[in-house]
This record gives sequence, structure tokens and C-alpha cells, in this order.
Amino acid sequence: MSTLQFLADGFAVAFQWQNLLFAFVGVIIGTAVGVLPGIGPMSGVALLIPVTATLTSGLPTEAAAASSIILLAGVYYGAMYGGSTTSILLNTPGESSSVVTTLDGYQMAKQGRAGSALSIAAIGSFCAGIIALLGLVLLAKPLSSVALKFGPAEYFSLMLLGLAAVSGLAGRSITKALIMTVLGLMLGTVGIDAVSGIERFTFGQPMLFSGIEFLTIAVGLFALGEVFKTILEKSDDDGQIAKINRILPTKQDLKDSAVPIARGSFLGFFIGVLPGAGATLASFFSYITEKKFSKTPEKFGKGHIAGVAGPESANNAASGGAMIPLLTLGIPGSGTTAILMGALIMYNIQPGPLLFDEHPEVAWGLIASMFIGNLMLLVLNMPLVRIFAKVIETPKKYLLPIIIAISFFGVYAVQYTTFDLYLLLACGLLGYLFAKNDYPVAPLVLALVLGPMIENNMRRALTISNGDFSIFMTKPLSLLFLIVAVSWLLIPLFMKMRGKNVIINEEE
Amino acid sequence: MWKTLTKFAAATFLLAGLAGCTSTDSSSAGDTEKTTASNYPKNNITIVAPSGAGGGWDLTARAISKTMNDTKLIEKPIQVENKPGGGGAVFMATFATKEADNDYMLMVKSPPILINNEKAEGNSKFGYKDTTPLAQLTRDYGAIVVKNDSTYKTLDDVLNDLKTNPQDVTLAGGSAPGSMDHLVGIIPAFKSGIDLKTVKYVSYDGGGEAVAALLGGNADVIATDASTIATYVKSGDVRVLAVSSSERLEGELADVPTFKEAGIDEEFTIWRGIFGPKNMSDDAVAYWSEKLQAMVETDEWKSEVERNGWQSEYRNAEEFTKYLDEQNNTVVELLTALEMQK
Repeated sequence: MSTLQFLADGFAVAFQWQNLLFAFVGVIIGTAVGVLPGIGPMSGVALLIPVTATLTSGLPTEAAAASSIILLAGVYYGAMYGGSTTSILLNTPGESSSVVTTLDGYQMAKQGRAGSALSIAAIGSFCAGIIALLGLVLLAKPLSSVALKFGPAEYFSLMLLGLAAVSGLAGRSITKALIMTVLGLMLGTVGIDAVSGIERFTFGQPMLFSGIEFLTIAVGLFALGEVFKTILEKSDDDGQIAKINRILPTKQDLKDSAVPIARGSFLGFFIGVLPGAGATLASFFSYITEKKFSKTPEKFGKGHIAGVAGPESANNAASGGAMIPLLTLGIPGSGTTAILMGALIMYNIQPGPLLFDEHPEVAWGLIASMFIGNLMLLVLNMPLVRIFAKVIETPKKYLLPIIIAISFFGVYAVQYTTFDLYLLLACGLLGYLFAKNDYPVAPLVLALVLGPMIENNMRRALTISNGDFSIFMTKPLSLLFLIVAVSWLLIPLFMKMRGKNVIINEEE
Repeated sequence: MWKTLTKFAAATFLLAGLAGCTSTDSSSAGDTEKTTASNYPKNNITIVAPSGAGGGWDLTARAISKTMNDTKLIEKPIQVENKPGGGGAVFMATFATKEADNDYMLMVKSPPILINNEKAEGNSKFGYKDTTPLAQLTRDYGAIVVKNDSTYKTLDDVLNDLKTNPQDVTLAGGSAPGSMDHLVGIIPAFKSGIDLKTVKYVSYDGGGEAVAALLGGNADVIATDASTIATYVKSGDVRVLAVSSSERLEGELADVPTFKEAGIDEEFTIWRGIFGPKNMSDDAVAYWSEKLQAMVETDEWKSEVERNGWQSEYRNAEEFTKYLDEQNNTVVELLTALEMQK
């Protein structure tokens, strides 16, 4: 088949010594970018564009483009590997896509299972990377047309399904989870409304025009909240942290993770294909799905390995899926892919419907190099786990200042404003108060991501249909999502009414 | 012993990583300085892109800094800083107030400097009059685009439909109402006397998503940049009905009529230029005018422009200021028609 022939040609490009080197450098930088909060994949890739342009300046255009996109893509998916590290160890999500990993990853680390959590994240990412690549090779063309069919109505219903599933993130009380969800939705309305161009809740302050940055809120609530908790509830448990027993996951861990990794990979891949949905959503959806399908949902949030394996696979698979609209349609699904696209355009190579015909060397070389890069990442990351896992044994008095520094640095590097630093501090205090009173913060964070997307897509859909709500029911995919969302909410209630002993929530 | 060592190693790794990150990517050019009549520049120079890394403003700023330093036109290192927020409005406020006297801080901007200042919502108190325009460097144009199998063959077809049954035509663009894509999209309707408030405009997050909506059948017509749409024309996925330039474009869009040819007496240029602070000293203005004029002639600049798919269009400080006055009138006129003016 011609696809195989093209792929073989791609490997020929990827195995050129300079491209192997470029892929290697890319994934190393990517891992560092992922581990260090603040310098996210987006700024990491953007900052490296001029560097790769200089490095490849001697090569012919086509080869130069292939080499530099191989390096830059390496940074992109490398960052997805590294992103889990601080989430697991320090409760500090470095990228928005690894926020959900903190929920169980940090709990695992606290129990001395940091090694297992980190290595399962790496293994999951590897499997997801390979699955997503196979999907990319085999399904790129058909999927790109499916992605196009996804209009505002379909997005709205899909996001609504995500919101309906928010109960999956609830702690002990569903009421408190709903309160937090509404709070998140409210925060999401701040800024210039994208549909009407009207300012909302900005009080005329330019720094609020573009809304409240999701990462600031997440880092504040999770990382600083934990810091405040440790300081304010100072106990003598310093050094009481469980010793790290092992670096590799146990057989049981692997068994528990296999299905979540597979499910997370597929879910992440398909969500990644949709422009605008992205890795963050993929990881949330994966977490919620795992909890829903789990035989032991009560274990989630207390250090369940499936809660790390699923989302970490999903966000990696999503970054592979996002390559489909980028390469086949020239439509970047996220900020980072937009920058990758910019890099290709710099070499006069326009990603889009003609890329695979006009520049097969670049397209297939990139795909082949991603296979190699993923393998490099696995080999690279497993030994690093041993080193990183030791971080958790650092005494609190050293660890806390490091977390605070990383949080501040990370937020500033994304936003460049002191306003966000104040916001970060405020969220830290709030995060502590919320946690103390059993208000789960994850629903707030998810609602903050989903809220604006739900709202904008609903209003786009209604603009198109001249205000007719039936647009959500007449589109088959949209209707399907709505039905799933409704049954997600109703089936447990219904079964409870029938007297079945079903745990809706562990409400006291 | 081994444990303490690894602990230490882990901690240093994190710290070293942090330190590595904070170091900027400023290139270290020599400190030798040509002695011109004035002693500007004495310090290092910063060009600000009031957006995140990777966007058009950012790429332009980096291209200027790279060309100036590579060709040794300016030997002082030029650093590019990103100051995102509020579609450029956040940095604009700082630039017009705190940095108004700072000869060493420049800014790259495009039509939003006019639009943000004139529109009622998301208004930036400061506009181009609070800066010293130094030069226009590049240009792009808006394009009115439909899918290849669309029933619309000409711009007139679209306008006729907008007149008779506006509820059946969905116009989309990659930015919010009252911003660039929207203005480009409604210019033809405005000039044909159509009530602009009946025109359905759906805004997406960026031009890419707008193209996706068009290809997926979720929009009938989109307004976007002429430079990015060319590849879809080549692949046969879309047709461009008109471009907002004064003369026909080259390359893929050579057969596309301009607004004027399609009977719309208006043009709209998406320019990018560089601005100095409001109270820039005469020495500094003279220095930059000379250097920028020299820069646009260099092969290095030309290759940067080509690599990024831009079109070169140079206006010096005086022409640029005059041009901005004209453009501002157009923007105010359009926003007034939309009842979105401040």
C-alpha cells in the first residue's frame, strides 16, 4: 500500500543522523519544558524557532523544514511526557493538561508511590503516543473530514456532556461540587465576550479583557493551597512521608493501568483531533470516564493509579491527534500547534490540504520521527523517575519555598503581569479554605475551562439557526451527546428509585 | 550516603532548571558603538510584541531585531519582549503612560491600535496618537471567501442574498465582533447600503477555526487574511470572491477581483508597523527613521518577509502617520455604522 511506502520514505528521512540528533535534542528540551512549570510547550516551541532556523540554515529548504519541525514537534510531545512530573511530586501542574493528574498523582506521591506514578505516566504516555501515531498514519484523511463536521452545535453538546460528568469529580458532597462548578462557570464569564465583543465583569481593567487565566487559578488552588495547608496546619509529620519503596510499578499497578491507558489513548486521540478541544479537556474526560467505569470509584482522589494512567495517556494522545487537523487541513487545534504551523510557514511550507502531496518528505519524515522520539522519551524518562522521585523526600522546609518559587515563576512566565501573581496568592488562600471545608476544587477548574466554550458554541449555533434551539437536536452527533449527558445524570437516580443499591455519591 | 547525594542532585536539578529558564535569549552583540551626531542609542533596545510568543506581532518584532543585529545596522542588542493581554490593550496603557519617555522601548502593532481605541467595548484609552509612529513595514489584505461548491459565484451574489434574506447567510471570521475580520467582512455590505445589524456574524477563535467552519458547512461566507487563504485556493477547497486591496494581488489570488472591481468603493489594508513612545526624542526618531529605511532595503529583511509569507510595504514616519489618520477615519465610519463606536 502506498501509505506504507510513504511511511518507509519517512523513516528514511527520520533516520538521517542529523534528524535523529534533532529529535533527541527536541525531546530532551521538551522534557525539561514539561517538568519546569511556566515555560509551557507553547513558549518552549516559540522560543526555539529562531534557534532551529539558525541550525538548519545550511540545508536545502525542504530538508531544513523537516529537520526543524522534527525538533519542534519533539519539544511539543516531550513536554506532554514531562508535564506530569511536578503535578505528581509537588501538586503543581505545569501545564493545564496535567491539572487533573494532581488529583491522584499527588496522593500517590504522599503514600510513597511517586515512583509508580511517574513511571506509569511515562509508560502510559508512550503507549498513547504510539496509538495516536498509528491513528495519524491510518485515519488522518477520514478523521479530518469528521473534525470538519464538528460545528458549534456538536461542540456545545460535547462540552455539556463534560459538565454533566462533573459529579465524577465530586468529593463527599455533590452539592458542594455543584457550588464549585457554578463558581467556575461564573469566573469563566469574565473578559471580553467573544461572540458579541462586549466587556463583562472587567470593571474597565485591561488586564481582565482576555479573561482569567486558567493556569493561574489551577496552580493557586492546587499548589499554593497545599502550601498554605502545610504551613497553617503545621504538624510534626515532617519526615513522616512514606519512604519510596520502588521505582517501577507493581504487577498489580500495571494490571490496573492497562485498560485506563488504552481507553485514555483512544479518548485523547479523538478529542485531540477536534480543533479547539485540546489536551486539557482530553485529560479531564479520561479521568471522569475512568472513575465512572471503575469498580472502585471511591478509590479515586486517594491515590488510584488509574487516575494517573488514564489522563496522562489521554493528554499525550491528544497531542498526536492534534497533528491531524494541523497537517491535513492547516488548522491548528491549540496554541502550540499554531506555533508549529508558523514554523512550517517560515520555510514556505504551508500545512494544509496539499502538504502530503507537495511535501511528503516533511509530513512523513515528521510522523516517522515521532515514532522514534516517543521511544527515546521512554528510554530517557524511566531513569529520570529515580531521580525525580527523590524530590518528595526533600524536607518540607526546603520543598515549600521551591514550590512557591516554581508557582510564581510559572504563572509569571505565562502571563507576564503582577496582577496574576496577586490572583495566584488569593487563589492559594481560597484553595486552602476550600480544601479545609471539603469543597472540591477540580469542578471549579473544569467549569472554568468548559464554561466559555459551552457558552460561545451555544451562541454560535443559535446565531446560525436564527435562535432556533432545535439545531441541537437535529444534528445527529449533537443529539447523541445530549442523550448520553442526560442518561449520565438520570440513570443512577433512576436505578436508585428502583431500590437498587447504587452509590450515586458518597454523600453522608 | 547515596540517598543524601541523590536528594541533593534532585534539588539542584530543579534549581538549575529554574536558573536556566530565567536567562533570556538576548544575543550578545559587541559593545562597539558608532559615534553619530547624537549619542543614541546608549543602552540596549527592547521591542515589545503586545501578545504571546508566535503571533504576527511577535514574529515581526523578532524579524526586526534579527535583521538589525545580523546586518550590524544596529549594534546594540535588540531584545524582544512579549507583553500579552487584552488584545494589546494592556501593554498599550503602559506604553502610553509609564514608558512615554523611554527612547529604548518600541512596539509592533497593527490595525487593532486604531480599532481598540475607537470601539466602545474593550476600549483602550490610548491609541496611535499616544505613540510616535516610526514606519509601516508589511501589509496583508482581507479576503471574502466561500467554499468551492457554494452557490455564490461573485460578491454580488452574497450581497443580494444579504439584502433579501439575511437570516440565511452566516458570515464568520476569526475574531470578535468589532475587530478586524468583522470589519473586513462587513465593508461590502456597508458600502451597498445593507442594514449591518441584520448581518449574522459568527466569531471563532482564530482564522483557522473560521476556515474549518467554512469547510464543514457551518458558515456560508468567511472574512480572513488573504495570505493564509491562498493554500486552500490552490487545493480547490475554497474560492475567494474579493480581496480588500487597491490593486490585484499576485500569485494564487491573481484572478480575484478587488473590492473596487466588484463595485465596492473601499479598501482595507492589514498593515504592521513599528511605534516609538509618545515623547520619543528627536534624535531617537531620526535614528530609527534612518535605520528602518536602510533595513527594508537589505536582503536579510527581504528574505525574512518572504519566509513569513508577508508582503513588504514601507511607509516612513511622516507617510505612516498620515496613513494612520486616513485609516482611523475608515474605522470610525465602520464602527459608527455598527453602532459600536465609543
